[in-house]
Amino acid sequence: MPVIRNQIRELRAAREMTQQDLADQVGVTRQTVIAIEQDKYSPSLETAFKVAIALGVPIEKCFQYDPRGKR
Amino acid sequence: MLASLSYREKSLYASLVSEIVVYGSYFFLHRQNTIDKVAGMIVSIIVLQIILQSLIAAFTRNRVTDERDKLIELRGYRAGYLMLCSLMVLGLGMLWFHATVGDLHLDSRMMGLHFLSVFFSMLVIADITKTATQILAYRKAL
Repeated sequence: MPVIRNQIRELRAAREMTQQDLADQVGVTRQTVIAIEQDKYSPSLETAFKVAIALGVPIEKCFQYDPRGKR
Repeated sequence: MLASLSYREKSLYASLVSEIVVYGSYFFLHRQNTIDKVAGMIVSIIVLQIILQSLIAAFTRNRVTDERDKLIELRGYRAGYLMLCSLMVLGLGMLWFHATVGDLHLDSRMMGLHFLSVFFSMLVIADITKTATQILAYRKAL
């Protein structure tokens, strides 16, 4: 399990939002959204907040820290 | 496949192709190299890069770059720098060895070209390492 997990895919799907829509709102590339969703890239705190704002949820609903996870 | 690549990735593939095409000839035709050929190669890589990067910029609508692009860029530069340092140490070690043994018999007219070739090769290998590392990072998602 990764150190930082996220529920972006589920939250995005619930809002019928595409990866490109989210990328445009956050100001990142679609490839970065894909990397975050696949837990291959942990975004900066600033981007994490922007993702949470774009999805309209508190940041802890989007991202969770797992101290036993492996990077 | 091209549509799934970001602007930075396309740009990196173009750089790698132009580096391999232009520098490849340099390595394979090493014995026939002259100062003019090296200068011509430097000009041709610049021209090729300008053409390819302009085409990519013209045909890519979304040219956003973000924090992940910067991180990957830094990783590439780190790999390139480590390669350049390693090659420099290796080159200096070889020079020291030959100077100690005393079997370095270079034609003084060709000395400049030999050193130019060695240092240029180091830069080329470091540059290709940098670009390849960045492409690998993109392929692995980071």
